[in-house]
Amino acid sequence: MTAKPDPLIHPITRLSICGLLAAGADWVEFAALRDAAGISDSVLSKQSRVLEDAGYVEVRKGAVGRRPRTWFRLTAAGRQAVQGHLAWLAQLEEAVTASARDGRLADPPDVLNRRG
Amino acid sequence: MGDVAGDQDVTGDQAALERLRVQRSRLADRLRPPWWYLTGIAVMYALVFGFPFASRFLGVGIWPFFVAALVVAVPLQWGWTRATGIKMGFRNLSSPGPGRLARYAVVVVTLGAIAAEHFLIDRGGLLAAAIAVAALAVAAEVALQQVLLRGIRQELRDGGGVA
Repeated sequence: MTAKPDPLIHPITRLSICGLLAAGADWVEFAALRDAAGISDSVLSKQSRVLEDAGYVEVRKGAVGRRPRTWFRLTAAGRQAVQGHLAWLAQLEEAVTASARDGRLADPPDVLNRRG
Repeated sequence: MGDVAGDQDVTGDQAALERLRVQRSRLADRLRPPWWYLTGIAVMYALVFGFPFASRFLGVGIWPFFVAALVVAVPLQWGWTRATGIKMGFRNLSSPGPGRLARYAVVVVTLGAIAAEHFLIDRGGLLAAAIAVAALAVAAEVALQQVLLRGIRQELRDGGGVA
């Protein structure tokens, strides 16, 4: 897996959605995803559509009785992109932590300059 | 990427991963089993461990018990998925993860208890001991189910090995 930033996942809300969908569940329902991410219905609807259009997220709509239920899961492409982006973020975190520890914050590591 | 919620930059945000860990923890917390789920698991295993008695005293074959256990298990799983909003994939014995040992334990307890019940009923005629074995096995399976769920919650918290 290559650690690289993905501009589509980079915004915080989409990072939350993708990171939660990559956590290990097969499918996550709309309300569960909304509550875990701490976002509103409209934000989740909008951002999930962006991810669906990009082919990162698969959406399945159904109903239980008269209540509509929407389920999400990552596609293979989405999973790969999330893994790469999270690995890049982990590297970033590690580099900054190491710099702070060494007291060399004035000279940031190269990874900080790799903006998506 | 033109809206407020979507455009917040995380490049320099050291809290991005920490925030994600908190969110994953919140998602994992949804998988705490409700009372009816564990009760259903107990009923399902009571059917499984009731099979040696029915086989010996009523002459019932294994299939009615298998079907009855499925009739309990399928709606139980459906209800749990619906209640939690999280659908986990099927995990077999070789699936990696924190609950792997518990999955082996489920198989060992199931086979061991059924064999012990058969032995006690057929060979020794120790019906009370066989009932005690069945009751202990049901309790053990419910406890193991909780261990399995704890493992799944841990897996979700860890992010499924992604970061």
